[in-house]
Order: sequence, then C-alpha cells, then structure tokens
Amino acid sequence: MKSIADLLVLATIVFALIAGAIMVWYLIRQPALTAATKLALLAGIFVFPLLSAMSGNVSGYETTQKRHFCGGCHVMIPYTDDAENPNSTSLASLHARNELFGDRNCYRCHEDYAMFGAVTTKATGLVHAYHYVKSYWSMPAEDALGKMHLYNPYPNSNCMHCHSTRLPGFEELADHKGALESIREGKESCVSSGCHGPVHPFSKKKEEEAQP
Amino acid sequence: MTALSSPSAHRRLRYACWMTIAALAMFVWSVIDPGVIPVMIAMSVGQVLGTLATMLFLWVVLSDLRRARVLDRERR
Repeated sequence: MKSIADLLVLATIVFALIAGAIMVWYLIRQPALTAATKLALLAGIFVFPLLSAMSGNVSGYETTQKRHFCGGCHVMIPYTDDAENPNSTSLASLHARNELFGDRNCYRCHEDYAMFGAVTTKATGLVHAYHYVKSYWSMPAEDALGKMHLYNPYPNSNCMHCHSTRLPGFEELADHKGALESIREGKESCVSSGCHGPVHPFSKKKEEEAQP
Repeated sequence: MTALSSPSAHRRLRYACWMTIAALAMFVWSVIDPGVIPVMIAMSVGQVLGTLATMLFLWVVLSDLRRARVLDRERR
C-alpha cells in the first residue's frame, strides 16, 4: 500500500463489491421482504454504497486537483506541457517545479482561497466544462490559446497566500516599495506585463496576434 | 415483522438495486481510470442515481411501516 490515495481506491472497490454482491443476491433469489432481507438491502443499497461513494468522492476530489486532470481538456495541453517542461522559464512552470505546487500547480494557483473556496472552485470548474463542450470541443488547441480568458482578473490574494508581501526582502525592492498598498489591495496586479507576468507567455502572444 | 409480498415493493427494490449497481460501477470506473469523463460522471450522474436508489428504498420502508400501522388499527 503506497498512500492514502491507494487506500481510498481500495475502499471504494471493496465497499462497491460488497454492496454489489448483496444486490445481485436479491435480484437473483428475490427473497420475501422479511426483516433480515430488509436489513441486507439496507446494507446493500444504503450503507456500503454510501461508504463507497464517500471514499470515491474524496478520491475524485483529489484527482480533480491534479495537472493531468486539467490537461484532460485538449485546449489545456499547451499549459500542462509548459508546466512540465523543465527548460521553461514561465512563471507557471517555475511554480510547478516547486514541491509545494508539484503536480497540483494549476489548482494551487487558480483555486479560491476562502471558507467555501473548494466549493466555488469546483462550481467554476463545471462552468469551464460547459464552455469547453459548447465552444472548444472541436477547436484545435493552438486556435483556442488566444481566445480563452479568466472570468475575472487574477487576484493578488492568491499570490499572497504564499508571498505575504511582509518580508523585508520584498518591501525593500524599489518596484514593490512604491506600490505596496495597491499590490496588497489588488489594484496593481502581480502578474501584469512588466511585473511578474504574463504567467503563460505563449498564450499571451496568441492573444496579441488575435487582436486587430 | 411480517413479510411483505407487494409486487410494487419488489419492483421498486429491483429498480433501486439496478440504479445502485450502475452508480457503484461509475464510482469504481472513476477510481480505476481517473480521467475527466469518469470522474465527472461518477460525481454527478453516479451521485444522483445513488441518491434516487436510496430514496426508492426508503419509500418501500415507509410504505411498509404505514401498512403495519393500518393493520394495527384494524386489530384494535
């Protein structure tokens, strides 16, 4: 057993098999609905499926945070390829090489950091899926690069989750010093061109080419 | 508790069993092959099917309890 993730996979399968066996027994034998049959069905339709769904959901939630999941939509492949490229100097790729981000670098930068952040992030993910099916399904990834946008400007608060802006090294830098308050308030974006952006330079180039 | 032989109860339970089997198959698929489609299907369709199956089961149990109370009144 390698990790908790493997344990969750195993639990999902074992609970599903137990529930499945009870239901196949009921479907084949069709016994009278005695108290014992009802208890067996309670276990087969409710208890074991619930346990299987719980471990399956946690496992699924973990999966949705990984880079390969984001790259499951072909228009994201240039982004995931860049993140995995050890020679890339883009901000996204540099972060992906940080162990704290690792194979979850897309999620770590684009998740909402709030009490219900995970919920709102996943809800937005469903909107992404809708737009993907509606607009990008048959579009080549190269063509989609200049057309995809964030719904809202990238919030500095996501950067500040790790980069507090309170360390002397940060405050002493001339560019930061003159704009400390507007950076902290999110009025001046950390990822704007000339500061630390663009984060995904290849997509920015396409975006500029697409503009008249 | 007496055994019930209501055909509608058996039919509902059969539907519940098939729905649960389908939902569990989706969950198992999503953990064995954790791609976009399996995970999204399991966490949406699988969830709905599992919930519907549980509701069908509860419906049968509640109908059973209601029937038992009716029998009690007749006895009184």
